[in-house]
Amino acid sequence: MTTIETSTALFLDDDGTVSATQLVAQTGLTPHEVELLVECGAIAPRDFAASTWTFSARCVVTARSARRLRDEFALDDAHAVAILLRFLQRIEELEREVRGLQARI
Amino acid sequence: MKYKDYYATLGVARDANADQIKAAYRKLARKYHPDVSKEAGAEEKFKEVSEAYETLKDPEKRAAYDQLGRHAQGEEMRPPPGWEQNFGPSFGESGFSFEDVDLADLFAGLAGRRGGPGAGARRANIPIPGQDYEAAVRLSFDQAYKGTEVEFDMSVPELDEQGALRRVPHKIRVRVPKGVTNGQKLRVPGKGGKGINGGPDGNLYLDIEVEAHPLYRAEGLDLYMDLPLAPWEAVLGASVDVPTPAGRVALKIPEGTQAGQKLRLAGRGLSRADGTSGHLYAVAKIVVPSVVDDRTKKLYGELEDASAFNPRAHMV
Repeated sequence: MTTIETSTALFLDDDGTVSATQLVAQTGLTPHEVELLVECGAIAPRDFAASTWTFSARCVVTARSARRLRDEFALDDAHAVAILLRFLQRIEELEREVRGLQARI
Repeated sequence: MKYKDYYATLGVARDANADQIKAAYRKLARKYHPDVSKEAGAEEKFKEVSEAYETLKDPEKRAAYDQLGRHAQGEEMRPPPGWEQNFGPSFGESGFSFEDVDLADLFAGLAGRRGGPGAGARRANIPIPGQDYEAAVRLSFDQAYKGTEVEFDMSVPELDEQGALRRVPHKIRVRVPKGVTNGQKLRVPGKGGKGINGGPDGNLYLDIEVEAHPLYRAEGLDLYMDLPLAPWEAVLGASVDVPTPAGRVALKIPEGTQAGQKLRLAGRGLSRADGTSGHLYAVAKIVVPSVVDDRTKKLYGELEDASAFNPRAHMV
C-alpha cells in the first residue's frame, strides 16, 4: 500500500512574509509589474525604507489576482492592471462589509 | 488525440495576424470570463477560448499547431511525420504516444521544451520552475473550526526524465489548519508541478469555501448567531443555555436586553493554531408566543394596565 505524504497548507495572510523575489516567483509577475502594484497602492512592502522589500503573504493573493487579470483578459498595460486591481479590491472590501452586516443582523 | 480547431474557437481566419487574434480573444474573454459573465456554460466556454489563445498567441506554438494540418473539430488525429522531431525532439526517443494526450497538454509541454521561460531551456539545462496548481476545497463548518485533512486526486501533465509529456495521477493529502474562513487562500509549498533541470517545484494554491452553518455566521474569526429570547427573559434578565462550536454554555442575559443587542462570548469564535481567536456574538431576538392561552392574555392585559412604558414616546 502506498503511503501518501501529508503536506500542511499555509495561510496567505498578514502573519507570513515573502521577499520581493519570492513574490515574483509565486505570482508569475515581472519585478517591474510588482513595482507598479506597489506604486498604485495595490500592495505595500512591510517597510518602504528597507533596502530589500518584504511583503505580507497576503500580497501573494493580490499579486496572483493581478497576474490572472493580465493573462485572462490579455491586458498588456501593467499600469491598467494595477488600477483595475484597486477597483476589484474596493469591490471585495464592499462585499466583505455586506457579508459582515448580513452576519450581524 | 482529438483535434480542436482553435481558429474556429476564437472565430478568426487561419491567416489572422497576432493583433486580430488578441482582439478576438479579448472580446470573448469579456463575454465569457466567469468573473463577469452570468451566462450558463460561460466558464467552460472561457476555458476553451483561453486554451485556443494560449497556443495561437505564441508564434512557436502556433507554427506547431498549424503543422498539425486541418481536421474536423473532435476528429481523432496524429501529427504528420516529422512533427515530433521539429517540435519535440525527445518525443520519438521516449516512444511518446499521442493517444493518451490532450492537445492543450501537448502545447503546454512545448513551453517547457522549446518556447517556455527561456527558449530551449531544457536543452540548455536552465532550471525551469514547476507549474502552480489551483484547487477549490469545500469544507463543512466543523472541518473549518477544528482543522481537517483533505485528499485530492489530480491528473496533471508532467515531463518525465526523457522529456516526454505524460498525464500523471497524483494523490495529494493536505492538512488544512483550523480557523480557515470562507474565501481564504492557502498555499501548499512544493505540491505543484515538478521543476525541470533543478528548478523549484510549483505550489498548490487552495481556494477555501466553507459551507453555511444553520446557527453560526462567520465574519473573519468572529461568529454570530441569533439568540431567541422570551419577552420576560429580555425584561427581567435570565441565564440561558446556548450552543457554541465548542459545546453548550450558560449565558447571562442582562435585565433590559434589547432586540438586536449583541452579547459577546469571548474567545468562542474561530481560533487558529497561533493562538488568535475570534468571539461568538449572540444577537438577541425577542420572540413572542404565536399561540396565547387565556391566562397569558390576562397577565399581558394586567401588564398593559400597570405599565407606563411607551416604546413610541420619541415619536410623539
